[in-house]
Amino acid sequence: MNYKIDKMRSKLELSFISIAFIFTCILFIIIGSIFLIPSFEGFINALFSDEIQFALRLTLSTSIIAASCVMLVAIPTAYSLARYEFPLKSVVKSIIDLPMAFPEIVLGIAILMMFGNQFLGNVLQNLGIDIVFTTAGVIVAQFFVAFPYSVRILYSTFNYVNPRYEFVSRSLGYGEFETLKNITLPLARGGIFASSVVTIARCIGTFGAVLLVGGGTYLKTETLSIAIYYNLSLGNIDNAITAAIILVVISFIAIFVLEKYAYKDMEGV
Amino acid sequence: MLIRIWREFEAMFLEVNNLSVDLGQFHLIDVNLGLEKEDYMVIIGPTGSGKSVLLETIAGFYRPQSGRIFLEGKDITHLTPEKRGISIIYQDYVLFPHMNVFENIAYGLKKRIEDKEVIESSVVDAAKRLKIDHLLDRNPETLSGGEKQRTAIARSLIVEPNLLLMDEPFSALDVNTHTYLTDLLKKAVSDYQTTCIHVSHNFNDVWSLAEQVAVMRDGEILQQGVVADVFSKPRHDFVADFVGVRNIFQGEVVGGSKGITDVEIDKNLILHSSDTYNTDFKEVIVVIRPENIIFSNQPFVSSIRNQLKGIVTEVVLIGPTVWVEVDVHGTSFKGIITPSSLDMLGIKKGNEIYLSFKSVNVKLIDND
Repeated sequence: MNYKIDKMRSKLELSFISIAFIFTCILFIIIGSIFLIPSFEGFINALFSDEIQFALRLTLSTSIIAASCVMLVAIPTAYSLARYEFPLKSVVKSIIDLPMAFPEIVLGIAILMMFGNQFLGNVLQNLGIDIVFTTAGVIVAQFFVAFPYSVRILYSTFNYVNPRYEFVSRSLGYGEFETLKNITLPLARGGIFASSVVTIARCIGTFGAVLLVGGGTYLKTETLSIAIYYNLSLGNIDNAITAAIILVVISFIAIFVLEKYAYKDMEGV
Repeated sequence: MLIRIWREFEAMFLEVNNLSVDLGQFHLIDVNLGLEKEDYMVIIGPTGSGKSVLLETIAGFYRPQSGRIFLEGKDITHLTPEKRGISIIYQDYVLFPHMNVFENIAYGLKKRIEDKEVIESSVVDAAKRLKIDHLLDRNPETLSGGEKQRTAIARSLIVEPNLLLMDEPFSALDVNTHTYLTDLLKKAVSDYQTTCIHVSHNFNDVWSLAEQVAVMRDGEILQQGVVADVFSKPRHDFVADFVGVRNIFQGEVVGGSKGITDVEIDKNLILHSSDTYNTDFKEVIVVIRPENIIFSNQPFVSSIRNQLKGIVTEVVLIGPTVWVEVDVHGTSFKGIITPSSLDMLGIKKGNEIYLSFKSVNVKLIDND
């Protein structure tokens, strides 16, 4: 008798598991439904239309550039937050985290104001750099949207690497940069990889900031997420859904790669 | 006077002068240390006394607030760690997980030597000395604790450091591995002629490895000196309490066989120790920790080598323990027991009592 009672699930257990199941199902149906709506022909036509082809190329190229820039800046930023003590460190940490909490569109308008009208915009314009309503603007917007996420992941990665590995390397005759290259970065490679995947996924998916800063001009600064919004408002459902499907597929690949490689690599460091 | 001080200072291989470090949680206050070349110093002290911070400051990982560190007469206080030639070994081995055993050991050497054949032969040589030459292709995570620590020792010694620092290197290992590694380490550091500072909380490391010992508490070095001096003449109550040795005798090795050394500590009072000494008639200091003395009302037959009969001269209750002092033909032994053992044995001042202690607990320290 006791054995049976032990095997019985509690009410809390049952209700929580049910909630988890029901809402995962709903989410799955929601994601799955976009695959059912377009006809195959419509999907192929939309996929090879100039607009979607352009948006796909633009989104991928700007995202790769922006994500590379993010990694170049985020690695030293996260490393210094994890290893060094410096004045205003907690303030720096809070400011970096801030864009994760407030709406992306607010970040977009802030970037627009910053580069649009003011001193910095003029200086850059005189140097021949145009940010507002250009491809460069798309990259800048993606950069600032993804940067906090990247720093977050890298920060916990570097925290996870025992500084004693670096101490031992230094004591055996290697300088700071050599130690970073030989020891720290290889040990953090799982986290660096995970951070890159998340960063590029954020860059690809971002909407509000890219729309405001890049302007969302047809065949100029129209990314995939902007294409969904435009085509939906114009009633061009096939194009909108096709762009959405591309984004979903990219997300699935990102999650799959993350699960398969990055997390496995992070174990044992 | 100045010249004398200068000479003395020059003679020291490692000099730590008035070193203070503040890391918030851990700190060092006015630490002074001196070591000669090829000395082996064990620093003991309770956890949190700043022993690791001291090692890491000597290695150059922390910048001291004040004080100076000299190595071979050169001021290295502000030198970066990689320029000091000081290796460090940790309790948790810190083997690079993305390198195999060979690459771990070769790591420091690759910085110094280009020639791959020279590197390989040095690595194999070091690995043989530490008996890990069969493991060179393995990944660190597949090794046992003892094998990991032998790899770490090989990695540190192969660069022939000026100074080898060890932070509780054996405390994560079982007793047998500990003993085995102690012997290997002893031989390896003498082969490489390495000067060592070894942080430990295990007194066996002091007996078996150290020439010099320093006792640390709350970031301060309370006493430093040759082992026999510190244990026989503690200058500080804490040192006396911490080292806990109340049975210290001058002795003379008078013989021995089959791994047992006989030491005469008084006329006709001979103790047996499992510490080995080759030459007869050697002056030694004999140390027996009070908790290793067993009291009984009757003599008993056992493998215990040392059994003495004496008269109880003092019974003192201190906290949860009882200190019992026994006079054996004019030599006083101190033991520590629980109040319940006291009741059970009915120990009273003036009673006759038998003392027993194993030869392994009779420690001999050089008194040259």
